[in-house]
Amino acid sequence: MITWRTAWTIARRDLSARFRGLRLLLVCLFLGVGALAAIGTLTGAIEQELSSRGRTILGGDLEVAVWQRGASAAEVKAFAAAGQLSGGMRLQAMARAGDLAAPIELKAIDGKWPLYGQLLLKDGRAAGAPPAGQAWIAEGAAERLGLSKGSTFAVGSAELSVGGIIATEPDRLGEGFTLGPVVLVAEGFPASAGLTAPGAMYRSKYRIALPPGGDPQAVADRLKKQFPSSGFELKTRDKASPGAERFVSRMGDFLVLVGLAALAIAGIGIGGGVSSYLEARRTSVATLKVLGAASGDIARIYLLQIGAAALAGSLLGLIAGVLITPLLGRALGSLLPVAPGFVFDPEALLRAAVYGLLIALIFAAPPLLAARRFPAMALLRARVSPLASGWRDAALPVGLGLAAIVALALLTTKAKLVTLWFLGGTLVLLVLLGALGWGVRAAAARLPRPKRPLLRIALANLHRPGAQTGALVTALGFGLAAFVTLAAIQTSLDANIRASVPQRAPDYFVLDVPRDKAAEFQKTVTSIAPQARVRMVPALRGAILAYGPAKALIRVADLKAIPDAAWPLRGERGLTYSADVPEGNVVTEGKWWAKDYAGPPLVSIDEKLGQALNLKIGDQLTIGLMGVERTATIASLRRIDWDSMGFNYVLVFSPNTLADAPHNLAATISLSPAADLSPPRGGGTEGGGPAIAETPHPNPSPAGKGLLLRALVKAFPSSSVIEVGGVLTQARDLLRQVSLAILAAASVAVLAGIAVLLGAIAAARASRLYDNVILRVLGASGRQLLLLQLAEYALLAGLLALVALGLGSLVAWLVVVQLFGFDWLPDWPQVLAVLGLGLALVIGFALAASLPLLRAKPAQALREL
Amino acid sequence: MTSPLPAIAARNLTLQLGSADSAVDVLRGIDLTVPQGQTLALLGPSGSGKSSLMAVLSGLERASSGELSVAGQNFAALNEDALATARRGRIGVVLQSFHLLPTMTALENVMTPLELAGMPDAEMRAATELEAVGLAARLHHYPAQLSGGEQQRVAIARALAPQPMLVFADEPTGNLDTKTGETIMDLLFARRAASGATLVVITHDAALAARCERVITLADGRIASDTGA
Repeated sequence: MITWRTAWTIARRDLSARFRGLRLLLVCLFLGVGALAAIGTLTGAIEQELSSRGRTILGGDLEVAVWQRGASAAEVKAFAAAGQLSGGMRLQAMARAGDLAAPIELKAIDGKWPLYGQLLLKDGRAAGAPPAGQAWIAEGAAERLGLSKGSTFAVGSAELSVGGIIATEPDRLGEGFTLGPVVLVAEGFPASAGLTAPGAMYRSKYRIALPPGGDPQAVADRLKKQFPSSGFELKTRDKASPGAERFVSRMGDFLVLVGLAALAIAGIGIGGGVSSYLEARRTSVATLKVLGAASGDIARIYLLQIGAAALAGSLLGLIAGVLITPLLGRALGSLLPVAPGFVFDPEALLRAAVYGLLIALIFAAPPLLAARRFPAMALLRARVSPLASGWRDAALPVGLGLAAIVALALLTTKAKLVTLWFLGGTLVLLVLLGALGWGVRAAAARLPRPKRPLLRIALANLHRPGAQTGALVTALGFGLAAFVTLAAIQTSLDANIRASVPQRAPDYFVLDVPRDKAAEFQKTVTSIAPQARVRMVPALRGAILAYGPAKALIRVADLKAIPDAAWPLRGERGLTYSADVPEGNVVTEGKWWAKDYAGPPLVSIDEKLGQALNLKIGDQLTIGLMGVERTATIASLRRIDWDSMGFNYVLVFSPNTLADAPHNLAATISLSPAADLSPPRGGGTEGGGPAIAETPHPNPSPAGKGLLLRALVKAFPSSSVIEVGGVLTQARDLLRQVSLAILAAASVAVLAGIAVLLGAIAAARASRLYDNVILRVLGASGRQLLLLQLAEYALLAGLLALVALGLGSLVAWLVVVQLFGFDWLPDWPQVLAVLGLGLALVIGFALAASLPLLRAKPAQALREL
Repeated sequence: MTSPLPAIAARNLTLQLGSADSAVDVLRGIDLTVPQGQTLALLGPSGSGKSSLMAVLSGLERASSGELSVAGQNFAALNEDALATARRGRIGVVLQSFHLLPTMTALENVMTPLELAGMPDAEMRAATELEAVGLAARLHHYPAQLSGGEQQRVAIARALAPQPMLVFADEPTGNLDTKTGETIMDLLFARRAASGATLVVITHDAALAARCERVITLADGRIASDTGA
């Protein structure tokens, strides 16, 4: 066998500098590797940013949060012993300036804040906590209340003056989702404004800066152990923003899957591209063999050529991937927790390149090895017959390549099961489409010959030697399925945006209505809006500390990991009590307590939580409420209709269990009598977050709304009123961006599909040209030739439309339901319309690509053939 | 100059093409001995098996049965790769359609077999051979930039550059006009004479055949006549 050096000398000579013939391979790898490189770089950059800026994002090495109380002296002593301590609190409040009122996130901080990072004001000052009586306010608050530096406004029962407008707040990301712009005040302000009365929904936060070398997790574990009933929510600097990290990681996994899908589709293009390249090189291969090249030499020479093209395509893809990342970051905008700039992530790039080269290996090996096996004379003789299948020789490299891809995908993803399903699904899809291609060829060969000559030739074109039916079936199948997938995902997400929220949501959600002022609250509302309906429930917060049979209680603190389905075990939850079964809930097991029940404490739990923790009626549940443990017996399991938009609490206690704890009420106000009076899911205090409305509630007049808002803020200064409409818009925008990101990513797969389609058409070009010229010589008109092509592609596309509908829907369902947990609500007429459009588009592409062949002049073409 | 070992020794060679149902007997028992240095013309109508015989003798195709020794090597026992290796440096082939590598220059085309055979100074040898066929000014031209006659000169240079013991030419003037064809054949015979290689020419042209020391006529896969043996 010749040396690699000699093989490269010959390969380089034979390889056109512009990669003529290998451009499909180049484009496919460029798209696939580019997509993966961009995705890897983007998610890597965000994750790295989150982790490297962890202590700034968190505002400390460790954060301890606790609801509705300040830390006890013993607790504060323990915090302070661990390192430098900064304390403060967060609460939802209303700010008023003249006739204007707006919900704000009130953040009280002490003199040590910020432990890390820097607060910058618009006027360029770096600041800590504002002096007493002053506030640093976010730009949003200044806009809504018409404030500027020096203006005064009121929060609760106290007045503040604006000391400055915030430019950068160091720990903003770590604070999470807020329902209003932030207002920073000095530590003692909430208490002086009457906002921290017992039962008020505030959260105390303590940040600790550990001495160098301190281990935040060890301190967190120690604190949990020392104060088991405290209800502490602990966050360490390496998980400063777990929600953001989860989102980025999940989105990253999804995007990698999309990238792999694009690469898998590109792989078909690569296989087709290499096949047609070698087909075009048939004479060269033969000539080299005549000149003494052995099969191994041929394999080396063409492996080097294809490898060079693959490397070039991958390299271009990597460059594009890096360059496009900042643009991608900008397009995704506020969806991302941090804005990635220009990033160079060698690991992500290497991963993308390895994926690309492995895919190239898998799809290029069979045709390459087939060319190697062909005898010289057969190559010269069999002009139209395809290269014999080399699957036996190719089994080893293809198998190794596949194994390497699976291993790499599983090693680099957190969603291993989804990835495995995806890879398996892709393989099945490829095999299915391959089998379909074979079936179409076989069926076309056996069908009776149509009498119309054009149809007869079109049918013959599907099964004759050298027909590209297999490649076309795969390309068209994937391409059309991609259209269906996109349409189904898009319409499902749109429908989710509309349907996951009620047609009519309440107008206001009010936190911290004092328990003893419930009647007054009702009166204030109805005096301004007589037809309004008000619903109030007790609102408390607490954490589940232990659960299980009375004699074998499991402490949550002892669990190594909390399963996804048992999410209520994480941190504090909203708690309530009720004499009746809450609206929209159904008791599925056990019994509801009597209205005047006064026995041992009872609780009713969500049946899904019951299943996740294997809880039975009679088992016990211990909660931590303001630092005190309370244990109740499970009296019933409930099915909660989360979509009912009621006050949906996972845990509802018998009134005698919690009524003695200091607490306030949460209320919803529906201004229209026709409106559904149920408030947003979880009432802003439970899982699910605020809901979204596409067509909101019947609109009362803005003036009426403003009047009520002002009256409530005035009469209940310590309560915070949230306008549901604003929250809905915010959440809807977020969903829209998710939908846009999914679509943008999936478009890469469609692009790859189109490239493959064009490649398959190009691959059939030589035999098509020959046919067209002969038909022209025999008297066929250009129109007839066009109709012939149309008939062939229409026959194939029609058949594949059905296959694509099935496959595309399945993939979309997996993405929408399994991966993102949305409801499956595709708009079928729209999906079918898009499929029709896709059909028209691919046939259009196919015909457009065939036009140059139709224009070929017979005499000239005959000379060249 | 001839040596005791014949360049080609074939006994009862047969060649069947196609699968069992549609098998065609292309060669039906060829017995042939060609001494080294001989010039031999293979004549015969289309389909008589001339090109197939050349393919088998040059190791491009394996015989279905029979014995074949070429340049002292038992071709019947070699697989396709071994045949390719056996051709290197020993056998040169000139084809009717030239079959130059379209992506390589004239010089690179001639260098390729030298490199495949691992010969040193491939570039210098190739350039010398191209000068010898009158293409010194065309070294860096691609096949598409050369006339048919020039392309065939490159093919001859490529076949002769490794100084093979045997040269096969399959209708080398078939795609050329008469005058150019004559020039090419003059060149082929002159270069062969200079190298002393055995030459086997397949042709329809009786005048060309007459220039060879020996003429074999094939009909229906068999040797119909053998003159000058």
